[in-house]
Amino acid sequence: MFESCLRGLKFYFYMVGVSIKTQLQYRYAFVMNILGWAMTYAGTAITMWVMLYSFQTIRGWMFWELLFLFGLSVLSWSICIIFFFHFRNMDEYIVEGTFDRFLVRPIHPFLHVVALKFDVGAFGQLLFSIVALIIAYVQLGLNWQFSQWLIFLGAVIGGTLIQGGMLVLISGVAFWTTRSERLFWTLMWPAKNLMNYPLTIFPRVIQLLVTFVLPFAFVNFLPALLLLGKTKESFAPYWGFFTLPVGIIFFTICLKFWTIGLNHYKSAGS
Amino acid sequence: MIKTYRMYWEFTRKSFQRSAAYRVDSWSRVLGNVMSLGIWGCIWFALYYGKGSVENISFHSMLSYILISMALQGIHNAGTPLWEIQRRVRTGDIAIELLRPYDYPLRMLFTDLGSMSFYFITAIFPLYTLIFIFFQPNIPLSASQWGLFLLSAVLGYLIRYSLELTFGLFTFWLVETGGVEDIFYFSISLFSGSVVPLWFFPDWLASIASLLPFQGIYFVPNAIFVGELSGQAILPALLNQVIWLLICYGLLRFVWAKASQKVVVQGG
Repeated sequence: MFESCLRGLKFYFYMVGVSIKTQLQYRYAFVMNILGWAMTYAGTAITMWVMLYSFQTIRGWMFWELLFLFGLSVLSWSICIIFFFHFRNMDEYIVEGTFDRFLVRPIHPFLHVVALKFDVGAFGQLLFSIVALIIAYVQLGLNWQFSQWLIFLGAVIGGTLIQGGMLVLISGVAFWTTRSERLFWTLMWPAKNLMNYPLTIFPRVIQLLVTFVLPFAFVNFLPALLLLGKTKESFAPYWGFFTLPVGIIFFTICLKFWTIGLNHYKSAGS
Repeated sequence: MIKTYRMYWEFTRKSFQRSAAYRVDSWSRVLGNVMSLGIWGCIWFALYYGKGSVENISFHSMLSYILISMALQGIHNAGTPLWEIQRRVRTGDIAIELLRPYDYPLRMLFTDLGSMSFYFITAIFPLYTLIFIFFQPNIPLSASQWGLFLLSAVLGYLIRYSLELTFGLFTFWLVETGGVEDIFYFSISLFSGSVVPLWFFPDWLASIASLLPFQGIYFVPNAIFVGELSGQAILPALLNQVIWLLICYGLLRFVWAKASQKVVVQGG
């Protein structure tokens, strides 16, 4: 058992190495990709700024707080992209029948899919989110205690697991339906964009949905309440403590679903 | 002449039928459109919460603006996406198009007309009729206002089409358009007033926006639709759209001419 784990990890790092090398092969494309992503997110932040220029606040949140909320979500999303983003089009392997290859290799299929790509382009998002968070931190004059740094760390790790779990869940659907990428674009992407804004601006049903069913609220909104010291919202501030456990539980459930799907999998091959 | 148009029309018809065959595609696009409408509706509602009118625009006008904007965006998005054009250039599929006896930019326009009209008839029109009945937004009250809105919306569509296809053709020279592409998309989404109308821009940004072609895509038709742009002010706005359309179309023809030569060179 231990040995197979070790061997799996060895294969994993080998494949990741290859993936990074292929991405670094085209230097120009590599740099453009990173810059492109950083700019896309900067664009969204600028749009928020323009929007709040005449209005000043949105339900008591000012621009820098909004930027913090946004930056926090992008930070965990960028880590999630590195490991899990390619799960969204895992269905292509199933449709083309190339998924069968993964089953006969000396590494667990899940780890194999994770290792398919180590998306270096995500450094663009990472760059943006770190810069955004630092600017927001300075502008808001925050001064976190040690415990708040722990909450922040928990939010990043937990947020990565929640969003990664969601991607794993969606890709798992493909074991039954053979197609699932559309689910990502119609279900997860809008839900993610929703979280760029304070949750309290949305109807109650949606607030409950992203808290208890698809726990996106734990990615950025709930921890941000604690980290920004916003106590007058309709959510009690202690909710933000739970991001890490929620992330671990949610990811475990999603992984379980994926494995059930894998056992159910019948090749699409001819 | 008539024969040529009949040929292009055939592309429209075929594309209409093809859209009818991929109905799931259409439905998921509707779902996405409605969800972003919902998100933006909530955002604007929250922005206006506890405020009367901002920059002389009431919440009701803004709601109307975002509704018509999303309806127009829904129609725009039913056309061939940018990445599809880029894919054809990269894979060389576009070479086949050059061999055929039609004008590629014009053919694409007619093809998109087919998928867009299918999407409009089956999804956008019934859906937004219901939404409009429910929310009672500002709509054009006279036939002339409707006419001007439609004219402006068509001009806006053609501006975006020319710009996007031109941009897609740059793939002939740049294999990787990553960063430039993101600036392009950002400019379209911000300066076209697709989600934030130019009224709320800081003055300096609004003056930059007024010098760019993008405002003609959504902002002008939307503003005419909700009645914030009316009377004498409409004429210069339409003229501005026409001028930009001519410039963008000229640019498209120029880039297309250069690009077709480029293919010949690569072909061998």
